[in-house]
Amino acid sequence: MRAALGIARKELSVYFTTPVAWVVLVVVAFFSAQFFAGALEGFRYLATRALQLKSSGLLDRMNLTDMVVARLFGSVALFLLITAPFLSMRLIAEEVRSSTFELLMTTPVRPVEIVLGKFAAALCVLAASLVIVASYPALLALLGAGASGGGAVEWPTVATGLLGLFLLGGMALAVGLFFSAVTDTPVVAALLALLVLLGLWVATMFTIGAGEPLRRLAEALSASEHLASFLQGRIDLADVLYYVSLAALGLFLADRAVEARRWA
Amino acid sequence: MIEVRGLTKRYRDVVAVDELSFTVGKGEIVGLLGPNGAGKTTTMRVLTGYLPATAGTARIAGFDVFERPLEVKRRVGYLPETPPLYDAMTVRGYLRFVCDLKGLPRRSAPDEVERVATRTGVADVLGRLLANLSKGYRQRVGLAQALLGDPDVLVLDEPTVGLDPLQIREVRDLIRSFAGRHTVLLSTHILPEVAMTCQKVLVLNGGRLVDHDTLEGLVARHLPGRRVTVEDITFLEEIYGKIVGPPAARV
Repeated sequence: MRAALGIARKELSVYFTTPVAWVVLVVVAFFSAQFFAGALEGFRYLATRALQLKSSGLLDRMNLTDMVVARLFGSVALFLLITAPFLSMRLIAEEVRSSTFELLMTTPVRPVEIVLGKFAAALCVLAASLVIVASYPALLALLGAGASGGGAVEWPTVATGLLGLFLLGGMALAVGLFFSAVTDTPVVAALLALLVLLGLWVATMFTIGAGEPLRRLAEALSASEHLASFLQGRIDLADVLYYVSLAALGLFLADRAVEARRWA
Repeated sequence: MIEVRGLTKRYRDVVAVDELSFTVGKGEIVGLLGPNGAGKTTTMRVLTGYLPATAGTARIAGFDVFERPLEVKRRVGYLPETPPLYDAMTVRGYLRFVCDLKGLPRRSAPDEVERVATRTGVADVLGRLLANLSKGYRQRVGLAQALLGDPDVLVLDEPTVGLDPLQIREVRDLIRSFAGRHTVLLSTHILPEVAMTCQKVLVLNGGRLVDHDTLEGLVARHLPGRRVTVEDITFLEEIYGKIVGPPAARV
C-alpha cells in the first residue's frame, strides 16, 4: 500500500497546485453561504410571524438544526454531486493523455492501488469542502442560542448530516473515477459521470405516475431519498449500504477498467 | 537475464511483432535497431509488462512477464518512448513519487534521488517544475526515473532522443558504465548510436528479427574486407565537441 499512499500524496499535491481543488472549494463555499443565508432568513421570517401570531406551539417546534442546517445540507448535497465529477475527471484519463499511465503500469503497482490512492486523494478534497459546510452550524452554535437556553444546534444531527454528505460525495467520486478510467478525455468523463449521478439524484422523477413496484424501485435507487434520514439525525443501515455499495461498485469497475486498458 | 521466445503481438489486424526470439545475458548492453514501426517499442512494452503479448513468452530474471508481472516490474527500470512526466510537479517531487511507486524505503529516498540526479546530470534542476524544463532535461529526468532503485535490467526506448550531441555523449558514457552491473536493452534507429554503446545488436524490421550479432560480426558479414572501427564514427563528434565545448577550453 506504499504505492497507494504515494499516489494519494501526489494527487493531493496536484489538486492544490492546479486550480481544480480551489475552484471546487470556492464553488462549495459560495453556494453554501448563499443557502445558509437564505435558510437563516427564512427561519427569521417564520420566527417573527410566529411571534406576531403568538403561536407558541409553532415556535416550540421550530429549531435551527432542522430548519436551517438540514436545509443547508440538503441543498449542498446537489452541489457536491455536481462538483464531484470535476474532482475525479482527470484522475485516470489525464494519466493516459500525458502518457504517464505507462509509468504506473510498469512500476510494481497493482491497479487496485492506483484506484484506491486516487480515490483517497479525492476524498480528502471532499472532506475539506465539508469542513467549509460544517463551519455554518458552528457559526450558529457560536452566535445563536436554543429556545430553552441550550445550544443552538443539535450536534448529533449535524454529525449524521455530514456523514450522509460524505457518503454521498464518496459515492459520486467513485462513479466519477470509473468514468475517468474508461475515457481518454477528462471532460467527457465528467459529463458522463454527471449524467449518471444526476439521474440517480432525480430517479424518482422518472416514475411519476407509474405503478407501485416501479416507484418503490426508483425510491430504492434514488441518491436523494437515501440522504433524507441522515439529515433528520438518523443513521439507517440501508442508506449507509446504498452509498457504500455504489462506491464499492464504482471502485471495482474502475479497477477492472484500469486493468483492461492494457488489452485494448 | 532477458529471454524472449516466439513473441508475437497483434493490434487487431496489424502484426507489430512477429515470432521474435532472442536472449540477453546478464550485464550485456544490447541495442534494438530498426526503422520506425519495426516493433521496437512494442517489444519493450511487452517486456516491461505494459502490454500483454498475443503469443509467445518473455522472461526477465527467470520470471514470466505475464504470470509474475510484479516480480518483473521490481527488477526493471523503464524509460518509455515519451518520458512519463507530470508537468505540475518539481523534478525532486516527481523522483520521490517514483520512489514510492517502486516501493523503495522512504528513509533512503532522498539519497537515492540525489544519486540518480547526479548521474544523469539533473541535480541542478531538482527544484524546477517539469513543465518548464527543456526537452533534453525532460529526457534525462525520464532516464533518472528508470535508474531509481538500481534495477538489474534497464529497458530504454530511444534514450538519446532530444539531446544535443554533447548530452548524447554523456548519456552514452553513462549507459556504457552500466556494462557488467546492469543488463541494458536500448532501442534506437541511429546506427552509430548502437556502435558506440552496445556490445550486441538486434536488427528488427517489420516486426521480425532480421539479424543479430556483435558489431564486429555485422561489419564483417555485411562489409567484407572493410575495416570499420568505432573511432571512425566518433571522430565527427569529437570535432563537434571541440568546437562547441566548454568555453574555458577555448582561447
